[in-house]
Parts: sequence; C-alpha cells; structure tokens
Amino acid sequence: MLTGLLSGSALWYLSRATGVVSVVLLTAVVVLGVVTAGRRSPHGTNATVVMALHRWLSLGMSAFLVAHILTAILDGYVDISLVAALVPFTSSYETLWVGIGTLAVDLLLAVVATSLLRSRISEGAWRFVHWFAYAMWPLAVLHGVMMGSADAPLLRYTTLACGVVGILATGWRVSSTSADRAQRRLVDAQGWT
Amino acid sequence: MTTTSAAATSVVTAPAQVADLLESAGLTGRGGALFSTATKLRAAMQSKADLVVNACDGEIGAAKDGWIVAHHLEELLAGAHTLRPHRRARIVVAAHRGSRTAGLLHAAGVDVLEVPHRYVSSEESALVQLLHGGPAKPMTKTRPFVHGGRDSRGRRIRPTLVLNAETVWRAQQILARGADGPAWFRSHGTAQEPGPRLVTVTGHVARPGVAEAAAGIALRDLLDLAGGALPEARHVLVGGLGGVLLTTGETHTGVWSREGMAPFGGRLLNATVVPGSMGAGVVTVLDPARCPVEVLGEYIAYGAGESAGQCGPCMFGLPSIAQDWALLSRTPDPAVLQRLRGRLGLVRGRGACHHPDGVARLAASALSALEPHLLDHLSRAAAGRPACPTARSSHA
Repeated sequence: MLTGLLSGSALWYLSRATGVVSVVLLTAVVVLGVVTAGRRSPHGTNATVVMALHRWLSLGMSAFLVAHILTAILDGYVDISLVAALVPFTSSYETLWVGIGTLAVDLLLAVVATSLLRSRISEGAWRFVHWFAYAMWPLAVLHGVMMGSADAPLLRYTTLACGVVGILATGWRVSSTSADRAQRRLVDAQGWT
Repeated sequence: MTTTSAAATSVVTAPAQVADLLESAGLTGRGGALFSTATKLRAAMQSKADLVVNACDGEIGAAKDGWIVAHHLEELLAGAHTLRPHRRARIVVAAHRGSRTAGLLHAAGVDVLEVPHRYVSSEESALVQLLHGGPAKPMTKTRPFVHGGRDSRGRRIRPTLVLNAETVWRAQQILARGADGPAWFRSHGTAQEPGPRLVTVTGHVARPGVAEAAAGIALRDLLDLAGGALPEARHVLVGGLGGVLLTTGETHTGVWSREGMAPFGGRLLNATVVPGSMGAGVVTVLDPARCPVEVLGEYIAYGAGESAGQCGPCMFGLPSIAQDWALLSRTPDPAVLQRLRGRLGLVRGRGACHHPDGVARLAASALSALEPHLLDHLSRAAAGRPACPTARSSHA
C-alpha cells in the first residue's frame, strides 16, 4: 500500500474510483432533477424529499468530482495539467476525451454557481443555465465511457448503466408534458395577431 | 365629416391644463374600468407614452365606439391629438380587423392597429402587446404599462397610454368648452359618475342602437331610449359578458350606476357577495322564446373559449364552469349547482386581465336572477319531465 502511494499508482486508482462514483451520483442528481419537472412531478412531502436529495447529493457529487480532478492532476502516471482540468481540449493525454470531461466540469460550474446565487439572479437566468445540465450530463457519461479502460469492465459497465438510466429518465420527462403546455399550444394555434 | 369644426377645435392646449380640466370634470374611463383619465394622462405625460385609442367595442353587443368613429371621427381625432402625451407620441386607433370601424378609420387615413376578433384581445395590456408586435394577449401588470415595462418573455414594452374611444371623445367635448367644460360635464350623471355616457341597447327591444345616457338613469328609462323592452321580455343583461343578469321586474326599480347595480351581483357558496357593475355600456334584452339558462350557458361557454390560455384559473377554471353550467341546463342536479357556486368563488380575483372575474360575476348574478327558473328545472327533472318547456318550444 505504502509503495503504491509512493509510486503514484494509488492516485491513479483513486482518480478512476472517484470518477465513476461522480458519474453515478451525477446521474442520480440528474434523475432527481428531471422528475421534479413536468406533469407527473412529485407532490407534497415527496416533492420536498426529492428536491432536498437533488440539492444535497449534488454537493456530495461535487466533493467526489473535486477528488477525481485533483487526483488526476497530481498523479504522475499520465500528464494532465491544472489548465487542462479547466480549459477544454488542452490536455496532451487523450485530448478529446479529457477535453469532453473538462467541458462537462465547466458546464457544471455554471450550473452550481447559478444555483448558489439563485436568490440573487433572475429566475429566467437560473433556469436558462440549469438547462445546461442536459448537455453536461451526456458529456460526463461519454467521458466516463471512453476513458474507462478496457481492463476494468466493471467501471465501464457502471457508467454505461448510468447512461441508460439517465436516458430513460429524460424520455419519461419528455413524454410527461404539462397540461398547461398542451392547453397553451391549443390556444396559441387559434391565432392572436 | 358630420361634426362642426368648432367642436373639433379645443380651446385648451397646454398639457398640464388638460389634465387639470379633466380632473375637475371627473372624467373616468368609458371602457368600464371607471378609472380617472386625468391620473392616467399625467402618468403618460411623465413617461412620454404613446397613445392607443381603443375603438374595438370589445364587449358582446357593444357598438358605441363604432358609433363614435362613424359619426364623430373628427372630434375623436382632435381629442386624441389634444391628449397626445408628448409631442412625438405615436397615436393609433385600435379596431377589430375587417370591421366597419376599421374600414372607416383606414378611409380617413388614420394609423390603425388591427386587432384579432378575440374577447380578451381588446383588453388594455393585450392591445399594448399587439402594438409591440406580440400576440394580442393580456400581460401581467407588475406596474401600469403607461410607465412601460416588459412582456412575459422579457422584451421591452414602451410606455403606452390606452384610452377608450368614448373617453377620448368626452375629453374633447370637455376641452372644447374650455373653463366651462367641467361644469357642463358635471351637469350630467351623478356626483360619483359624472358626465354623459353612451350605451348600446340591443336584443329584444323595439329600436336597438346606441343612445346617449348618463349614470343614475332608471334602467327602465334606459331601455325606453331604445323603444323599451318588448312586452314578453323576462331577462336583461347589463354590461355584457362581464356584466350582470336582471329580471325585467328588477329593471323597473334598478338604477344604472355603480351603486345602483351593486345589489344585482350574486352570492357564492360562503355567502360572499359579488357586487354588480355597470360594465362597458351595453344592455341586452334576452329573447324570451329561449330558455335563459341555455342562453347564459352560451355566454359562459363563449367566455371560456375566449381565454388566452395563459393563467390557470382562466384556461382551466372557466371551461369547468361552462361545463357545470351546461350540465345544469341539460340535467339539473343540486350537487352540480353546489359545485358550480364553489368554482365561481375559486376563479374570482385571479388571472392577469381578470377575465375570470367578469364571467364569474355574470354566472353568479345569473344564478340569482334565474333561481325560480332553475328551481323549476330541478323539480321537473325530479318528476322525470324535460327540464325546460321554453327550451323545448324554441326547438319546435
């Protein structure tokens, strides 16, 4: 164990482990967020529980993500700089797939920042940025699938399973349009100009 | 032009003086809101607002705005010019697309805002949104649009003053008389609602049309301006879709003013009283050959269908109310009546343009005015007979 730490391979394993946990938690957060919108959204106590889980799990996920990024930078096995962790497509190692992960991180930063500032910014601005989650999550999953090495099928399958769950949740959301929207479309079609 | 140019030339031109004169005359909006015109005008001058003259006759059966355009266009335009909130303000006159009024305005070379044939489209904020290139749907008023603001998508809305055509015409009549204007104006109507006002009397009357009246007139005298209600008439609708229903008996004692109409509202479940109102200057005598419950059902269904689909109480509440009413007129049931009264209370005071308020008031007042008729429906239904003999005869 000690030799492992010294040789730096523990950091590498830690990075991969925190990475896959981040994807799992992120998927959970996204699914919880997706089910709070639309016609079949939870009511009453359920709504409170779902919303609280959505918020607090995202905080937990952020901790794992920070660990994932830091260990990836500190680890000397492959060369990923601090800059590459923030600016997409600047990593010399796996430029495309690391860059996609970086892009997801940047989008996540925007989503988290606007959520923390939600009471200070307009509801419209918060909502607009929150929509980025639908771009951020697939990028994160793609990054996970492509970077998960072939020698660790468990990691890759876990990430793929996250992808399936997220896609199902999104499909559920799209099919569950609100009664308001249906009625508004109907009325809009009557011509108002 | 049928008007004399003397009446079309106002003695007063200084904007501040205009507002003062209108204030001492006590001119209020003739579109039914009864809000002080001077207050609106001062706000418009301060915000450098554009002016929309509303000649839509948006209320069902109303024809007074069209009558002004047809007979007093020169005075109307002179009035609009005098009330222009600032030197470079745009002045447009709103009229329903393809209407006779729109045709007359086009022929006179007026800048016309063509409004779709929708009940809520001639509402103040709907006209403002239409003027800015948006849909003719009411907007949420976080502050009056006379100061400008934003639509629901966040686009900028310029300060815009919307005045009813009759309001503008009355202002011109006051201003043309100069310092004598307020006294002349106050010699008509009541102290609370001074000035002459136009009313459209339609339906089952001898001579339907637009007449000059004033607040405080007995409803029977008002009907007499159109030759009186025909002898067999049983119900009178005052104020159109946002108004109240009265029995002809009630018109013998009723007075056409805000105070006089207040008792003719209706009662809701929790004993809330919905006060009646004068509405936008239209009185309709219903056809006695038809079941009044059915006729009111048509009004309410029309009102429900005219929702702009923006606010829940309107887009879902009104259709539910219309459904209850239809159920009530076909298969009367005390439980439905109870549910309907409950729903009327739920939609009141809600919606960006308060469209549900008007429909709920009409339905509540109709429940009171039609109570004997409804009870007759109920007892007939209990005996297994057709609900309404009148309705049956109308189909025969």
